[in-house]
Amino acid sequence: MSGTRAPDPDDPDLRAAEYVLGTLDAQERAAMEGEAARDPVARARIQAWERRLGPLAMVIPVETPPPHVRAALLRRLPAAGRAELHQIEALRSQLRRWRVAAGGAGLLAAGLALVLTLGPWQRPSDGRYLAVVQGGGTLPALIVRVDTRTGVAMVRPVSAEAPADRSLEVWYVGAQGPRPLGLVGTAASQMRLPAGAAPDGVIAVSVEPPGGSPTGQPTGPVVYTGKLIAD
Amino acid sequence: MRGPMLADDATLRRLLAGIARGEADRLAELYDVSSPKLYGLILRIQRDRGLAEDVLQDVYMRIWQAAGSYRPEAGPPLPWLITIARNRAIDSVRRKAEVQGPELDSGEDWVDLLIDPHDEAGAFQDRNALVACLGRLEPSHRDCVVLAYCEGRSREELAARFDRPVNTIKTWLHRALGALKTCLETVS
Repeated sequence: MSGTRAPDPDDPDLRAAEYVLGTLDAQERAAMEGEAARDPVARARIQAWERRLGPLAMVIPVETPPPHVRAALLRRLPAAGRAELHQIEALRSQLRRWRVAAGGAGLLAAGLALVLTLGPWQRPSDGRYLAVVQGGGTLPALIVRVDTRTGVAMVRPVSAEAPADRSLEVWYVGAQGPRPLGLVGTAASQMRLPAGAAPDGVIAVSVEPPGGSPTGQPTGPVVYTGKLIAD
Repeated sequence: MRGPMLADDATLRRLLAGIARGEADRLAELYDVSSPKLYGLILRIQRDRGLAEDVLQDVYMRIWQAAGSYRPEAGPPLPWLITIARNRAIDSVRRKAEVQGPELDSGEDWVDLLIDPHDEAGAFQDRNALVACLGRLEPSHRDCVVLAYCEGRSREELAARFDRPVNTIKTWLHRALGALKTCLETVS
């Protein structure tokens, strides 16, 4: 039956099938991914096709990658083992270095290899500071505006993305270590700064269980960081 | 062609759970047991070795970030890893505007390999059903499906290979996929 009649090219199940097969072009792929992100039915269609065609993936011969790939991958990760502690330690020592040499660049501290674009250090003016909080992407993850006179931080998410079933928690990392500010929501939100927060701190964002860290300290990987600069 | 044995599902699940907690050592372990499989898949699709290595690294960074979203009840872990690898590899070849080189004949008969009993194929239970249903397709249609899946061939590349307009290839693919679905529903 299906062999005689031309199939409907707009059939959503066929688009899902072609997505899994890999024959959609870049634009169609992006559209399908957007749809899957919004629509659980589209997601289920894709998963069903992954299951149907999956046995084909098992026949493809293995090939050992060259060792430098592993080395490069591990360099992009936090130090092995107690990752989060290492990250915070690294952030702290970074902070100490920043105090000595303001305006440095290139932070390799956090959970992902981070490239920070730092503005020139400016003389603190009227207590207002700004942190552009970034991960690896081209867009900032968050923009944090801090007013040390009122003790309020305004956190505006730009492209921050939490893994499924996880929360993103914002931290102020100063001389006393990380202090929680609050969770990243979908809209801008006001957060209270810890007492004694100084403008030479770092804003960091970690991945936490839903609702935030149960310990009051970061427990998951730090995925974004940014330094406060005078606004 | 035989590489190191892949770890069993329980090991992969344990490693993914550790990665979800931010344990870098677990990612290194997962890399050691799964990268030959994933690199093999990527390299069939992205044939430029330098780019394939970049894709492989991106795949494990993606796993590092997404391990928390892996749900054991949704299925075994290996297909989950394979999906990430295939998606990244296909993205990397589709992003390129030009069609890849004309050498289309890899010489591999993927369907024959599928029919051969194979240890790892146990990760997918429906292998026999897929073999049977692929066998019922028009041979050229089946080749399109298999070359697209295993080697990441685009509609344009398939059109060049089979000397048919792109729209015809699209229709072949749709017919084949529709027939596969119907067949798999009746066989399994």
